[in-house]
Amino acid sequence: GYREDEGLYLESDADEQLLIYLPFTQVVKLHSIVVKGPEEEGPKTVKLFSNREHMGFSNVNDFPPSDTAVLTPDNLKGKPVVLKFVKFQNVRSLTIFIEDNQSDSEVTKVNKIALFGTTVETTDMKGLKKIEDNH
Amino acid sequence: MVLEATMICIDNSEWMRNGDYSPSRLRAQADAVSLICGAKTQSNPENTVGILTMGGKGVRVLTTPTTDLGKILACMHELDIGGEMNIAAGIQVAQLALKHRQNKNQRQRIIVFAGSPVKYDRKVMEMIGKKLKKNSVAIDIVNFGEDDDGKPEKLEALLAAVNNNDSSHLVHVPTGPNALSDVLISSPVFTADGEGGSGFAAAAAAAAAGGVSDFDFGVDPNIDPELALALRVSMEEERARQEAAAKRAADEASRQGKEEEPLSNSQDATMTDNTNNTAAETTEKTADPMDEEKSLLERAFAMSMGTSVSDTSMADADTSKATDEDKELALALQMSMQDDTKDPSNQSDMSKVLGDQSFVSSILTSLPGVDPNDPSVKDLIASLQGQPEVCP
Repeated sequence: GYREDEGLYLESDADEQLLIYLPFTQVVKLHSIVVKGPEEEGPKTVKLFSNREHMGFSNVNDFPPSDTAVLTPDNLKGKPVVLKFVKFQNVRSLTIFIEDNQSDSEVTKVNKIALFGTTVETTDMKGLKKIEDNH
Repeated sequence: MVLEATMICIDNSEWMRNGDYSPSRLRAQADAVSLICGAKTQSNPENTVGILTMGGKGVRVLTTPTTDLGKILACMHELDIGGEMNIAAGIQVAQLALKHRQNKNQRQRIIVFAGSPVKYDRKVMEMIGKKLKKNSVAIDIVNFGEDDDGKPEKLEALLAAVNNNDSSHLVHVPTGPNALSDVLISSPVFTADGEGGSGFAAAAAAAAAGGVSDFDFGVDPNIDPELALALRVSMEEERARQEAAAKRAADEASRQGKEEEPLSNSQDATMTDNTNNTAAETTEKTADPMDEEKSLLERAFAMSMGTSVSDTSMADADTSKATDEDKELALALQMSMQDDTKDPSNQSDMSKVLGDQSFVSSILTSLPGVDPNDPSVKDLIASLQGQPEVCP
């Protein structure tokens, strides 16, 4: 479907940097990440910040990232980047800062971002049973 | 009512000595800045405004974004002229100042007064614009003064690079009779403030346009039709009252001594003081429509406007109030008495009603603020008594 369509991409506007904010509906642990993009304009340096809300380009360098990944052309084809698991144990939101791209062009393009991990705690609603009144 | 932090970049280069915008380009900018600050603060009390100058030895920040209008206005007085405008550095410093604003919830806006030539090329302007857009800073550019090679195009390039959903604007102010501030008031720089700011802007526009107005009453019927209508109606009533009062004064001047003048004065005072009460009375009395003399109309209007202004500005002292009114009333009386010779036919009904002495004296006693024993009133009576009967 649309998810694997190479013709659809996210591209940067004013310059080559991108800042993406992903809030989760529940707390998760992140294991690895996949970033797919074109060979030339695909991202190169990617910084991940966990649990930082309201980041902007102006304060992106104000605190250290939870992890940094430098993407190779293999990564851009779909090879996952394994993250520092210990840093992503209790993630409510993730901010992805794409600092530059493979060919240092004015525009960065991203086709797909995939996150792999587990949830921390959930209530399995199917397991809940109604308490019978006539005990 | 958008919450916004604004940095205003003022051009205080040598080009600003020029007087093609009165009184000088620099003072025109200062006026505009005061208006902008007022409008921003009024539209949202938490809005902050800061000032920096781009000319001189270099970019200098006079105030960081603050809500304190007094501080801003104080800075406007200290402006001095010199050097060249450095627009790129000015915008970048403004961006930095906004970055460090105290309330991070405020939107960021820069207002640039570009009066002198822009020495940077389009590429640089576009880069600056992109940086502003990336950091979601809106910009308003006021293009005035020097109009040299490519300056409009460069500014347009800057605007195109920054513009995000029309939040940024470029305003060209040509030289001419209209002051810089007036042109700005009707531009998106002010009106983009939204609902809150527009009230301030409209009031300022009305005040500014009071001297040079294309409309009858100095109030744009488009801005405020109700006010324009109210002014027109009150002016007609004023005129009717004046003529009636003058007629009565002329009639009774021959019959009675003192009573008429304070009476007519008080009658006039009534109409200017308590327009509400006597409005109904006058409209009833004035059965037939008066022939409008345009000059009489304008003078009556000026008088009523003058008295209403003096009414609002006076604090308490009844005597001072009476004195002011008496002078204006005397003037109005004399004017209307002169014109009575032109409009004799309409006076008869009025004179009959107002000839009823008891009715008039009852009105007199009910009036505040007119003291028949006031020396100025006495002088007035004496002077008016000397006039012969005007009405046939």
